Amino acid sequence: MWETVAQAVINGLLIGGIYALVSIGVTLIFGVVKIVNFAQGEFVMIGMYISFFLANQFGIDPLVSLLVSMPVLFLAGVLIQHFLIRRVLGPNDMPQIFLTFALSLLLLNLALMLFTANYRTVHTSYSDEALHIGGLYIPVAKLIAFVVAMALSGLLWLFLHTTDLGKAMRAAAQNRDVAMLMGINPNRVFCVALGIALALAGAAGSLLMPFYSAYPFVGQVFVLMAFVAVVLGTLGNVIGALIASLMMGVAESLGIQYVGADSGLIVVFAMLLLTLAFKPTGLGGGRAR
Amino acid sequence: MKKARKDSAEKPANQVSLRRQSRREFMIKTALAAGAFGAVPLRGWAADPINIGALYPTTGSMAQIGVGCVAAAKLAVDMVNEAGGIKSLGGAKLNLIISDVQSDTTVTRTETDRLITGNKLSAIHGCYASALTLIASEVAERAKVPLITGSSSDQLNKGRTYTFTPFARASQFARAQLQMSKLVSDTPKVAVIFENTAFGTSTSNGLKELAPGEGVEIVMFEPYSAGFTDASPLINKVKSSGANALFSVSYLNDLILIVRTVKQFGLNVSINGGSGGFVIPDFYKNVGKLAEGLQGVAHWNHDVSEDAQKVNAEFKKRTGDFAFEYAGGLIAQTFMLVDALERAGSADPQKVREALSTLDVSSGYAAMAPGGKVKFGPDGKNIYGHPVGVQWQNGDLASVFPKEDARAALLKI
Amino acid sequence: MMQSSSARNAILLAIGIAVLIALPMVVKSSFAIDIFIRILLFSFIGTAWNLMGGYAKQLSLGHAAYFGLGAYTSTILQIDFNISPWIGMVAGGVVAMLASLPIGWLCFRLRGPYFTIATIATAQALMLIFLKFRDFAWGAEGTTIPNLGTAPLMMQFESKASYYYVVLGLLLLGLLITWLIERSWIGYYLVAIGEDEDAAEAIGVNAPKMKRDIYMISAFLTALAGTFYTQYIYFIDPATAFSFSISIEAALVSIVGGIGTLWGPVIGTVLLETTSTLLQSWLGSSIGGVQLTVYSLILMAVILWRPTGLMGMIIEARQRFASRKPARA
Repeated sequence: MWETVAQAVINGLLIGGIYALVSIGVTLIFGVVKIVNFAQGEFVMIGMYISFFLANQFGIDPLVSLLVSMPVLFLAGVLIQHFLIRRVLGPNDMPQIFLTFALSLLLLNLALMLFTANYRTVHTSYSDEALHIGGLYIPVAKLIAFVVAMALSGLLWLFLHTTDLGKAMRAAAQNRDVAMLMGINPNRVFCVALGIALALAGAAGSLLMPFYSAYPFVGQVFVLMAFVAVVLGTLGNVIGALIASLMMGVAESLGIQYVGADSGLIVVFAMLLLTLAFKPTGLGGGRAR
Repeated sequence: MKKARKDSAEKPANQVSLRRQSRREFMIKTALAAGAFGAVPLRGWAADPINIGALYPTTGSMAQIGVGCVAAAKLAVDMVNEAGGIKSLGGAKLNLIISDVQSDTTVTRTETDRLITGNKLSAIHGCYASALTLIASEVAERAKVPLITGSSSDQLNKGRTYTFTPFARASQFARAQLQMSKLVSDTPKVAVIFENTAFGTSTSNGLKELAPGEGVEIVMFEPYSAGFTDASPLINKVKSSGANALFSVSYLNDLILIVRTVKQFGLNVSINGGSGGFVIPDFYKNVGKLAEGLQGVAHWNHDVSEDAQKVNAEFKKRTGDFAFEYAGGLIAQTFMLVDALERAGSADPQKVREALSTLDVSSGYAAMAPGGKVKFGPDGKNIYGHPVGVQWQNGDLASVFPKEDARAALLKI
Repeated sequence: MMQSSSARNAILLAIGIAVLIALPMVVKSSFAIDIFIRILLFSFIGTAWNLMGGYAKQLSLGHAAYFGLGAYTSTILQIDFNISPWIGMVAGGVVAMLASLPIGWLCFRLRGPYFTIATIATAQALMLIFLKFRDFAWGAEGTTIPNLGTAPLMMQFESKASYYYVVLGLLLLGLLITWLIERSWIGYYLVAIGEDEDAAEAIGVNAPKMKRDIYMISAFLTALAGTFYTQYIYFIDPATAFSFSISIEAALVSIVGGIGTLWGPVIGTVLLETTSTLLQSWLGSSIGGVQLTVYSLILMAVILWRPTGLMGMIIEARQRFASRKPARA
């Protein structure tokens, strides 16, 4: 019995690590730029396709392709902020919401047009291997993904708290006008924020490739979980998003085990709705960091 | 108007007499185009091509299979036309009019309607997924056009007179799966997981009802929502149920994850995957060696008869992959339509329907089904229809069950 | 000047309605009528959305929840209790209205984009519920509407034209309601809330109540569309009824056409549906994703360069034209 629970928790944590990478990006963008990036999932998808093509054409392991997908997506983030998002920042919500939404639709359907709906799978030597530890199974690929995800999150935290640019980002998140008065260029900060967030999404994609298949709609599944995690963990709170993601992964896994195989999402939504009902600012407490 | 023209351009590639065809094409296109806007009433032209409608999802989530189905449909029509067309109608050729249902229920509704009202059809075949076929059959029933299909949902035989299903029904798949599990283990304990739309639900209901009668114990029975991020929780549940066999009624995407996750967990279960995503070449392409020894059930396989093997060779030449279940089945269906047209001596859909209801074949491509015989009962079911159990062996799908249809031995893995 | 322009508008409107009524009698092609029905239907859904999203700027992407509730209510009443879908349609609207209360209560606690996310989540949650509970609503398989041939009292017709008139009626209803609201104090308050909710409250507008009320109306109308759609395609299942793409299209046509204007959703639908049909006939549907790619590009273009949508462009053009004429008395 305990074995089953422990296994369910482990499963949940491992996939929660991926949710975390995606949701941290969303919450970072929201905290700093104050917009919601509906297209975050599609950048995960792009990361997956990049890794797929590198693996397929050149035999490069997806983990190594992180070195490609992350910078490429960082650059994409900078460009998108500079040329698109900057133009709709303002008091009105509508353009911001629908711009990233349109971007999401565009990227997904471009992928559909270019790559078709076929599933693209990569097999590595460790794709289907698992560690056996006392009756529990820990799939190697997922473990690596989890570890890298946590490492990247840790690096981000260090960046935000120890570097000047990181502190500038947090300042801009807390109070944009004062930050500007202090000489911080908001657009530059936003570009970095978007770049980092998209790079994390791309990392999630590359980390997923060893055990998941790429297809145009793959982003949609992860982005939903990401958004719920962001709300649960309080908008703009990076640690909150991380913890909420892990919690949701575990909740989903336990839900499938004990409520019903089709109830994973329902459990997650229940968590969301309860939070909205009783603590709409999220469990992270207080304002964005 | 443009769309109708585009449809009639979807003709078989090799034309025997090009110039005659292209002039005819031009006249038909114009008439259809004009007819589409109601300016000119469509007159039925006797010795002219007979329109067969084909509805498949060539885009959307089922696109991979839909594209294969369309290739098979074209192959079948080519085969018919090269053999001389419908002799009782003066050698009239079949004209395939294809429509993409985009793996979407709504689109299926409008496309079926558009296909029927925009063309003078004698019959339709489609749509692969039971959920889509159910809708198409509703429209066809109201429009009084016969629909022939390989979709397995038992609902397709209820309350309809224009729907014909020459192949095994979902409930029959279930029985076959149960019987196969007894061949692999003496005390099968089965975990059943299934995607929760029409396809998964029909098949799994059959499993639940028949298991006690077949002496098989079901230790887990769970629907799941297709398109999950991670199969681990599901497989964990399977593991904790103590099952030694796993029946997964799923489409391709989830199957890939499930099979790989079972391997990751080192779970020792024999997997029987029903049909759906299991029995298509893409499955092997995506899971590779993990597929070896996995079993499934299908309503058609390329080794059921010599005719099937001929068809398979031809299909392979055109597409590069072996002829999968639905593809081969729909080639047989085309020939069943031909048989009906020959006997009806008319392209009128009502007469074709009458002829289909009295179909009784046991040779030729029309009888290319497990068991080699097709005859429809009053509910549109083939009274001889039964599924064939298959197993992945050396990268190919071999029929292993029942004994009469087995072409290779069942490997116990 | 006011009188002659409103008289002119009234005449144009009357001509427009007459044309719309006459259309199915002139155009016989089933394919064309199907397109018209789609245009009218999505204009109606867009109009319903616009009340909340356009005027009050509460950008919901979860209106499919009400579409589905309407669809399921009327279908359940019809199949299980033999009640006519005409009654079922109104019942569905009421169910949607009632549902909008708790959903609104939950979602309005969030502002801006998080409101939007919450609405998406509620529509998804409803889909999940209807997928799971097979006992009262057929689960994931859905059900077809029993074939009754021609049964006007049960909202089934042999001819497509009849469906056309039903949805035309719905659209006119939606436009009428929008027009009445737009020119009443309700409309002004809604716009005030949309512009700046806190400021509106500061001057005495009861924002929560108004948001709740307009949400109910919007939900009611959307549910009517759900019933009609189900009757038209003879089929219902959770994936279709609560489909995210319905939520998207409702918002899309309103934004492209002109958010917060009476005719915006209508014009937006005409543009998008025509584009879609043309695309289909040029490219066939052999390449998936083309239609939505184009839609998303149009949407991005509108947002980046003409956020007021087509109606905004038309109004600007008219003003420029008017300012070129010599001033009237």
